[in-house]
Amino acid sequence: MLEKLTHILFSTRVLLPDIIFGLVFLVVVATISFSKKLDIESIHNLFNALIISILISLGFVFYSFLGFFGQYFESGSSLFGGLIYLDNKSIFFKLLICISAAAVLLHVWIVGYKVMGEFYAIFVALVLGLFIMTMTANLLMLYVSLEMVSICSYILVAINKGKSNAEAGIKYLLFGATSSAVMLYGISLLYGMTGTLNFTGQEFATFLAQNPSWIASVAIFMTIGGLLFKLSAAPFHSWTPDVYEATPTPVVAFLSIAPKAAVLLVLIRLFSSLTIDFRLITAVIILASLTIGNLSALWQTNTKRMLGYSTIAHAGFMLVGLLATNSFGIQATIFYISTYLFITLAAFLLVDLLALKTESYELESLKGLGQENIFLGLAAVIIMVALVGLPPTVGFTAKLLIFTALWEGYQTSGSSILLVVLIFGLLNTAISIFYYLKIPFYMIFKEAKIGVKFYNIGLLRKAFLLFFLFFIIYLFLKPGELMALIGKL
Amino acid sequence: MNNFLLSTLIFLPLAGAAMVLLLPSAYRDSFKWISLVVCIINLLNIFTLYNSFDRQITEFQFIEQHEWIRMSLGNLGILSIDYLLGVDGINMPMILLSGIVLLIGAISSFTIEHRQKAYHSLYLLLSGSIIGCFAALDFFLFFLFFEFMLLPMYFLIGIWGGERREYAAIKFFIYTLVGSIFILIVMIGLAMSVQDSFFSQEMGGVVHTFDFRQLADFKNYIPDTLLHPEQKQLIFGIPARFFAFVLLIIGFGIKLPTVPFHTWLPDAHVEAPTPVSVVLAGILLKVGAYGFIRIAYGFFPDIAYQFTYIVAGAGVISIIYGAFNALAQEDLKKMIAYSSISHMGFVLLGLASMTAEGVNGAIYQMFGHGILAAMLFLIAGVIYDRTHNRLIENFRGLSSVMPLFTLAVTVAFFGSLGLPALPGFIGEFFTLMGGFQSKVLPDWFSMIAMLGIILSAGYFLWTLQKMFFGTFWANRNQAENLKDLDLREIIMLYSLAVLAIIFGIFPSLIFDITGESVKLFLEKF
Repeated sequence: MLEKLTHILFSTRVLLPDIIFGLVFLVVVATISFSKKLDIESIHNLFNALIISILISLGFVFYSFLGFFGQYFESGSSLFGGLIYLDNKSIFFKLLICISAAAVLLHVWIVGYKVMGEFYAIFVALVLGLFIMTMTANLLMLYVSLEMVSICSYILVAINKGKSNAEAGIKYLLFGATSSAVMLYGISLLYGMTGTLNFTGQEFATFLAQNPSWIASVAIFMTIGGLLFKLSAAPFHSWTPDVYEATPTPVVAFLSIAPKAAVLLVLIRLFSSLTIDFRLITAVIILASLTIGNLSALWQTNTKRMLGYSTIAHAGFMLVGLLATNSFGIQATIFYISTYLFITLAAFLLVDLLALKTESYELESLKGLGQENIFLGLAAVIIMVALVGLPPTVGFTAKLLIFTALWEGYQTSGSSILLVVLIFGLLNTAISIFYYLKIPFYMIFKEAKIGVKFYNIGLLRKAFLLFFLFFIIYLFLKPGELMALIGKL
Repeated sequence: MNNFLLSTLIFLPLAGAAMVLLLPSAYRDSFKWISLVVCIINLLNIFTLYNSFDRQITEFQFIEQHEWIRMSLGNLGILSIDYLLGVDGINMPMILLSGIVLLIGAISSFTIEHRQKAYHSLYLLLSGSIIGCFAALDFFLFFLFFEFMLLPMYFLIGIWGGERREYAAIKFFIYTLVGSIFILIVMIGLAMSVQDSFFSQEMGGVVHTFDFRQLADFKNYIPDTLLHPEQKQLIFGIPARFFAFVLLIIGFGIKLPTVPFHTWLPDAHVEAPTPVSVVLAGILLKVGAYGFIRIAYGFFPDIAYQFTYIVAGAGVISIIYGAFNALAQEDLKKMIAYSSISHMGFVLLGLASMTAEGVNGAIYQMFGHGILAAMLFLIAGVIYDRTHNRLIENFRGLSSVMPLFTLAVTVAFFGSLGLPALPGFIGEFFTLMGGFQSKVLPDWFSMIAMLGIILSAGYFLWTLQKMFFGTFWANRNQAENLKDLDLREIIMLYSLAVLAIIFGIFPSLIFDITGESVKLFLEKF
């Protein structure tokens, strides 16, 4: 009994940053309930400042924790009786989530969104859910955290009272609930086969291997269904464009990076304990995501919808590192997601800054904006080039690394499906250039409509965009430090 | 020896681009002068480089090496990317050519009046990347500059081009990008298969390198890797190196361009503004040829042998097909564009012959065609600037009103069709001689290629006769616009004409440089 209590106390202490963040949620809820009569504007500013500063300080805490934690727990530590599993990777991904959450709130603030107070409460809960998801090695906890994230996301999508918001929210909810159900079914199958909920343990691997491989594959595929839904990878992608189009841009920006990062970590853990050959299914998922994402994006006229399809394609690229099934592949995947954070947040910020001027997300409305404002034109070129994955941006380095890992995977395994993915995946970037370049193309090539005047975006917004652009270029020139950090995880 | 001459060549234009970008638009008139001054300084620096280039040494000279990226790849070892520049006999002529053509392009850019700030910063960016691409000795750096040339080119064609500029720009971009993806795949493969012989021992692990010098050496290949030259690894039943070589010849073949990957070129040329056409034909096509020599043939000599027929065949088909197409064109600029395809075919033929004459001739042909193509596109530009029309049939007897222009045209046309004492002759003569002497290539290849010279005489002389001789007449009331060259055009065309004659009479100016390096290059086969 005493032993258990000490374990719980110890677990609580290790998870102190997360628990404090949970308290923030309570504080926010309490403030909302008692502040109805107060000035809404100042309350929002207060929330923004509060949550952003907490996120930033949490980020620093996690960062310092990173070096400290590894010394004591080399392969991670099981907390709360094995329900929570904390290792350096979890802490690193929590750091990523902190950065993206802080950036998204800054985005809300700087662009000047009017949000309801509840937005903050839900947002904090969402971030908390993601924190938990990064610490799961247990199928039950995985499902619980995934549902927590999902429900918060549904509300965030539907929270604006527009008609399209409700539609997008319902679509999101229906697809999400279905894939959750599929996932739950998969989990039950896995539990039946292995008799354990802990999917990183030896037991899981041994018992899974004793089943016929096609049954195990089906169960695994169903289990990752819910994760693929969050990752917006095919065949669970169909919600993406509608939701991206209708939802406020900061929320979309957050959905396009933070849940994906958390899900990717779970996938990394799951895939490294798989004893069955899951490469063919992964390869099909990757190829389908790339093709559907890129080919559909070609025909879009709405920038947010286009970026929605582009995230489907990027989900495919993120899985490429896992397909390589070597330890470098995992590092490359983590590198990819860490750098994609800057690129995607910058892309959505750019789209939003442009929409401030044009009040529309249609490509047509961008005509001539780059001519009027060279800074925005240049930023559009850099961000879109980074999304394509061309030098001199970090998008290129990330793609180079994951495909290097894939090459190495092919060289050691000789499985020709890997080579197909390598060639096909890289050729897909040639398709993607066509639609990514549309944004700078409309901004710079097309003549401005009559009446478009010089558009001053303001120093603060400029600085914020520059912050992302700096990382996009800097990490290309000096990827060594980030890679060394990831290598130590 | 560590000096910064090569870096200066790359970073001076980049600094110029930044300067143009940062200067307020009120200084609009000074932008073209910045371009001009940067290009002049660059050319002077290149002359210094050319003079102090040691012609007796086969190794790379003026090497600059700085550690750039050292990245741990987990259990795969270390990825090492260097900032590594250097010149030898193969890229020295290309850098010299770049200096000359870029200066001419900068002078020609004086006619651009629309959005000068963007234009000149892009032009300078392009200049820096071109020289960087030729001088880079690290595959990663090479690829970086290779891709870096695309974006400025895309914008230069897409913003300042003709009517169908948007179509031409995106077509150019996608074609070249597909090519560069093929190159990227091979780059990844090579880096994974080769270890740095020096650092791997020193650091006690595998150091994957992109260094050209290491990639060319078979001793550095890691055993059991896919691209290992002796162990024949198979991909889909085909040797992996075979596969890689095919990817490379497609990748660089698009850039060169060779038939059947050439269709972007006429579009891009016709739509591009004159200075951009000059740079495109004068230098960018040579990047493809340079890649063929340095990378495809340099790293895969064992496979290149088996591909002699295909490469030479592509060359010969390009020569004939390009020439026939040129013969059928009514648009002067399109005719010149197709003639470029035809002339670049000789480079492939000379290279495939694998003889000293052939390869030297190929490099000379690249250089000579660079200068002549720049002249030809300037000529098309001169007519277009005056009349906004380029159809050959709209003009007759221009020699009577534009004597100076006609003289320059005569030099350019005769140079291109292969009159002795002009560069076209030397390049074609040596590549064909290589083709005939080659042990791996049957003679009929070169015989068919010779037909290309006759055809080129056909289209150039016909054009000369139709447009410049006879009584003066111009369609659409353009007669009064047709004035003779102004001073700027005289400087551009005549300096190129003088250079053409000098290099035509003294081909040893190039052959001296290339000789030793080509000898070393051929020892691998």
